[in-house]
Amino acid sequence: MVERRFARDVGSLPDIVAFINEFGRSHGLGEDPRFDAELIIEELFTNLVKYGTGTTSEIEIFLARDGDALTIRLRDRVVAPFDPSQTRGLPSGDELGPLPGGRGLELVRRIADDVHFEHQGGISTITVTKRIPA
Amino acid sequence: MFELKEVGPGTVRLNGRLDASQAETALNAFRRLEGPLTADCSGLDYISSAGISVIVETYRRLKAAGKEFRLTQMQPRVRNVFMYSGLDRVLTIE
Repeated sequence: MVERRFARDVGSLPDIVAFINEFGRSHGLGEDPRFDAELIIEELFTNLVKYGTGTTSEIEIFLARDGDALTIRLRDRVVAPFDPSQTRGLPSGDELGPLPGGRGLELVRRIADDVHFEHQGGISTITVTKRIPA
Repeated sequence: MFELKEVGPGTVRLNGRLDASQAETALNAFRRLEGPLTADCSGLDYISSAGISVIVETYRRLKAAGKEFRLTQMQPRVRNVFMYSGLDRVLTIE
């Protein structure tokens, strides 16, 4: 498992992508799972940035590969827990689906095989599992 | 980095990554354009929900003006994001 901390800002995204690519190269991730990992992490990270008000702490991202399982974990010190598994996008009222924010979490649920959330001791942890070709 | 390049009357080419860090830049670039509009997406390597929102806002604006907005030559991984969002059935993707 590799881990890195990132400033709570969407401006961190290029550094996060570089981190994922570095992990992908060293752990034999193909382009499809790398794309999925980037998408899952961006959606979760930007929601933590958006809803984690009242804190300036960095967000930790962990990546691990065990055979055909890719594990993605984000840890955040927040006042109010943010549970993506309980969040649904607000309908926009037309055919274009949920409003921004909800759409990203719907994407995570579509792509991931499992999304687990826990909040303990002031730390929110979101763990996503994605099956990938072995 | 995201780039929107005008390549002809009513035609733009999208290049790079349309993520949350680029969404505002992209939205400002799209807002300068009048329809009908065709966006060649062959150089678009990545899109997230933030990028999808830019496309949706542009679609809504042009539709309200009675103008067409077409997305063409999308890479399969990018197209999947539209499909997972259910927008491949709503937007014109060729």
